[in-house]
Amino acid sequence: MSDGASARAARGDVPDYRILVVDDEPDLERLVRQRMRRHIRRGEYGFEFAANGVEALEVLARDPDIDIVLSDINMPKMDGLTLLQQIPDVNSDLRSVIVSAYGDMENIRTAMNRGAFDFVTKPIDFTDLEVTIERTLRHLDEWRAALASRDKLVALQNELDVATKIQQSILPDAFPRLDGCEVYGCMQAARNVGGDFFDVIKLERGRVGLAVADVSDKGVPAALFMMSSRTLLKGAAVGAGSPSAVLSEVNDLLNETNEAAMFVTVFYGVYDPSSRVLTFANGGHNPPLVVHADGSSEELELTGGLALGAVSGFPYGQASVALHPGDLVVFFTDGVTEAINASNEEFGLAALRALFRGGRRPSAREAAETILQAVRDFAGEAPQFDDLTCMTLRVADE
Amino acid sequence: MNVQAEHHDEVLLAKVEGRVDSSNSQDFERQLQGAIGEDVKAVVIDLGQLAYISSAGLRVVLLVAKTLGQRNVSISLCALSDPVQSVFEISGFNRIIQIYDTQADALAAAGK
Repeated sequence: MSDGASARAARGDVPDYRILVVDDEPDLERLVRQRMRRHIRRGEYGFEFAANGVEALEVLARDPDIDIVLSDINMPKMDGLTLLQQIPDVNSDLRSVIVSAYGDMENIRTAMNRGAFDFVTKPIDFTDLEVTIERTLRHLDEWRAALASRDKLVALQNELDVATKIQQSILPDAFPRLDGCEVYGCMQAARNVGGDFFDVIKLERGRVGLAVADVSDKGVPAALFMMSSRTLLKGAAVGAGSPSAVLSEVNDLLNETNEAAMFVTVFYGVYDPSSRVLTFANGGHNPPLVVHADGSSEELELTGGLALGAVSGFPYGQASVALHPGDLVVFFTDGVTEAINASNEEFGLAALRALFRGGRRPSAREAAETILQAVRDFAGEAPQFDDLTCMTLRVADE
Repeated sequence: MNVQAEHHDEVLLAKVEGRVDSSNSQDFERQLQGAIGEDVKAVVIDLGQLAYISSAGLRVVLLVAKTLGQRNVSISLCALSDPVQSVFEISGFNRIIQIYDTQADALAAAGK
């Protein structure tokens, strides 16, 4: 019994299933009510009657709860085969059973081709009819359950699409115009909802806060953890002073409730264009790459940090690096260097550094897009399991 | 990925082999929790045959370490390959979980 049918039955006034009998033989109604009386009394079946196809369509139009149409073939005004063609326009959620003369294979074939679910032969054997009705109703229940599951899946997919849009929308897509430097960032999620994020936060006195982060694991739990991490980080960055204080504050807040032992690796730096100094703290994130104007490069030497969310009260260190005109700092997640190609080889840090050898001096945006494109070209058709995030800080030329 | 458990007196030795990433981290968690069981004083996880571990796998190690910490059961790791060692160093987990070069060192320390 379907949910709708059981709800109707529970009210006690409507039968579980409704069957419309279409026949021009006036005695049939009395016969059906008599032979099906136990089913009717138990509230399992309720019957409606129509004398031809035209009347049947009228009943179907005003009563959308009919489950089965049991129809004769030869009738005045509109015959059963024509009725079969018309039914889907009125109600697509029912099943039709045709009553035909014994051995009339031609009409039976036509009826089946026009969408009849089953047939019974005249004179009607009521035991056979009961079996046919039961079988048809089971099929109908399964069909309706499958439709409901599909609708739920579609709704879930729609929600995931909304979540993806929300996630994408919180990542910066317009970057502040700054004196003495430029900043750009982009992210490519491996699944619908991802665990990477980056942020560019304008601070007082012309400084800018730069964060790149990667949440453990992927999917919906990672996305939820990413959303709260990103909000906490932005709040702390605007409120607190030093990068180490920002990471300590976010770490302690994330540790307050973290049953699942999720964590997020974060690199957070504050760049001051007036002094060209980048002050940073690291929470277990892979080191950014500093590319000089001549194309040489090295990884930033990190402070000994720990991923945020792992242990509360962890003391985060802090360090500074003086940048030079034309320097490019590439902040990224390990999805970039650990992207794999069809031969299961990693893109690697060497390939990343090689992109800038020769000193082409790209803009912040060109650099970030060059990196993501190079990773995409390298990976080819190989499926990627990790988000790719790349953020760049380009110090103006002298 | 596979986890095998051996009992050395009151120390449980769990040997992990293969790769752990987000596709099998739940299985890793089940196998590791199942191997550890209830009545242990110390746990040593041998990662000598672990070829790769992603952040999803690190989360499982952290979860197990936190759970054991609440029960006052010590936990240590040993025999990490270079790539796996580097994952623990970058994430900083080597600062909160004891790591030994060899299984013998880890078992000796855990048995004390």
